[in-house]
Amino acid sequence: MMSSYLEFFYNYVKFPKAQNDPIVGTCNSMCPEDEIKLREAEHLVHILEVWDWGKERKLVKSFSRSAADTNMAVPRLLRPYAVLINTVQYLLFEITKRKDVPEAVVYEFVDDRLRAVRQDMTIQRLPPEECVNLLEPMIRFYVYYSHKLCNLPLKYYDPELNKRSLLECMKWYLSCSDTIDKRQRQDELSGLLSNLDLNENTKLTNDRVLVESLYIVCNLNDLHPLYRYIHHSMQLKREPKLQLAYNIAIANRQGNYIKVCRLMDKACPLTYYALFTYLPTIQRNALAVLSHAYNSKQFTIPSEVLARWLHFADEVEAQGVCAHYGLETENRSVRFDKKDFIGATSLHQLRLDGDNKSSGSQSNQRNEISIIDIFKYTTN
Amino acid sequence: MSLVTGTLNQYIQFVERMFRTSQGNILARLLSLRDDHVANRNLLSSDIASLVEGNCDIILDEMIISHLLCVKSLYIKDFGTAYAHQSAFVGCVVRLLQAQKEVNWGLPLMYTVCLDLRLVAQKVEACTPQSNGKILEKAAESLLACFRVCAADNRSSDADTKRLGMLNLVNQLLKVYFRINKLHLCKPLIRAIDSSPFKDQFPLAQQITYRYFVGRKAMFDSDYRSADEYLAFAFQNCHRNSLRNKRLILTYLVPVKMLLGFMPAKHLLQKYDLLQFWDLVSAVKNGDLRGIDKVMEEHENFFIRAGIYLIVEKLKITAYRNLFRKVYLAENSHQIDIACFQAALKVMGQDDVDSDETQCIVANLIYDGKIKGYISYQHKKVVVSKQNAFPPLSSLY
Repeated sequence: MMSSYLEFFYNYVKFPKAQNDPIVGTCNSMCPEDEIKLREAEHLVHILEVWDWGKERKLVKSFSRSAADTNMAVPRLLRPYAVLINTVQYLLFEITKRKDVPEAVVYEFVDDRLRAVRQDMTIQRLPPEECVNLLEPMIRFYVYYSHKLCNLPLKYYDPELNKRSLLECMKWYLSCSDTIDKRQRQDELSGLLSNLDLNENTKLTNDRVLVESLYIVCNLNDLHPLYRYIHHSMQLKREPKLQLAYNIAIANRQGNYIKVCRLMDKACPLTYYALFTYLPTIQRNALAVLSHAYNSKQFTIPSEVLARWLHFADEVEAQGVCAHYGLETENRSVRFDKKDFIGATSLHQLRLDGDNKSSGSQSNQRNEISIIDIFKYTTN
Repeated sequence: MSLVTGTLNQYIQFVERMFRTSQGNILARLLSLRDDHVANRNLLSSDIASLVEGNCDIILDEMIISHLLCVKSLYIKDFGTAYAHQSAFVGCVVRLLQAQKEVNWGLPLMYTVCLDLRLVAQKVEACTPQSNGKILEKAAESLLACFRVCAADNRSSDADTKRLGMLNLVNQLLKVYFRINKLHLCKPLIRAIDSSPFKDQFPLAQQITYRYFVGRKAMFDSDYRSADEYLAFAFQNCHRNSLRNKRLILTYLVPVKMLLGFMPAKHLLQKYDLLQFWDLVSAVKNGDLRGIDKVMEEHENFFIRAGIYLIVEKLKITAYRNLFRKVYLAENSHQIDIACFQAALKVMGQDDVDSDETQCIVANLIYDGKIKGYISYQHKKVVVSKQNAFPPLSSLY
């Protein structure tokens, strides 16, 4: 016990640099040779790994669970940081362009290959400065597709699994940022935000403010992100985008659906997407409040007003959702009666902005952002 | 014999005698990092291990060696090594307790050694910022090993069972988990204590500490009624001279009580040096939202450090309720224009709140039962109940 602790202490705490050398990958392509041979022989090449009508193949290391009898810490099977960066870039910029397969297939494929990237990162124990650069784009990927695919049936896309991967990446990223912060404070490098390599050659970005904001809006029913926020440095807290996310969370906690929906329109695209997937929950809670507060046998609220209050695309959607929860709709208005409201039914789904040609200019603008820009834009 | 000036041999003999005669309390003192004997340099020879070895029972030898080596490391401020020795010491205590059937005189020793372990771990954390709670986590694992031995001792009689030591350890663990912000780990510990048949037999001091932490945990889980119950017990039973502890308890009890609709008296806040809350009390009472923002800004560090910033934020709902009640009393009518509420919000600094948002705020208060009535969208009016339109908050929970 003592010796093992001492070992731990000297290796990780006291002399963190003298770690018993982390394993360094030597595989210089996106997929190790062994795996290429195996998968070619077993006909396990994914359609997204075939380009140019079969003339070219670009395999990417796939995820495999570590089993008791396999040794994964083999340098020739592991990709070093530079290769991992290229891999992530290739997956996000090239694969997502493919239109010959359904989007859910693209998502599933990229999700699997990104998991393999994370596995390589873990085995090689990459330093936090490198981890953040790999994780940030992954976070964008998961948020973007959680919105894009949110209406697909469960057999094509599982939001729970998406959330799990997203949280894994976010927590990892945030803990890396904290380590970097601490080190900076120790080195007395004052106040640089960890926007470390915005200007490096990699086309990917690392936007700390964006991830911190997403951590808040992706976990609106959890207090931890808020505690995290209030413990940030003044400088970080004053970042307008991050402040916006915090204000949205506070408004949501107060049940102030009007404010949440209004602030939502000020959000950057990814923050907006994250909020959009949570919007049905906000709307359902709001309708529960409305059916108590506007409880009446005679009076109604015009559907157009509801659409404005609760960020519905239009009157029709507002009425449809109210009907979904058992409320009586008539003649372009909704009657709220607390006895009618059924909160225990399944959550409704919303049309995506893109499905809706007549929606306002704001959402159209948002929709015009290309997927490449989604992976590249910065919040400032 | 004086332990402060005696020789190493005298010390070993004394420890051995106390061990043999099962004098747990004295033994605990003799092996504590917070006892006078620590100042005795005679005990810290250059070759402790070989001098001690073979004098007593193997396990006691080991304990004395770990203890003295730990003291020695502390002298040269090598806290990491000190921690390793103290951790080994706890390991010995675990084995010792496991071997001692049907008796629990070792408990005082366990308390002391575990407390010392936590204190040393805290020291290491303070000196190595990059450890980031890892040492405290390790310490918690050691404490859990002790806890398991205690919890598993269900064969001994009620007087001799080591289960009586559980609460002391749980309190230590709660302290660690709160410090490293791992509140989710508290749950199984709380369950173990709440289902223990000795629940009410533990010493009062330990019960107070326990409820203080469980109350804080309930507060973070937004379970304000339980938080009130636990913290109130802790406050009422805490010794009147323990001003510091009473103040700590009040730091959480005051905002919880406020959320439940009970405002503290000024002299209480004065007595415990908690006047930071006084401005907040008057702002909440008056529905002064700008005032709340001001107090939150002014005492931001205090609220954040105490971990009550978000609770204070939540008091804004109470402020809305109080403000609207004032409007209702001033209007002296059961039908109040939304515009009146909106105007009141504007006076209190909420300039950007329009009619829609005012309705939304009122709607939430109605939904929570804080206002009895309904809103008419067509007439832009709130119609409140003729009786008890604004029921006292304290009646709602």
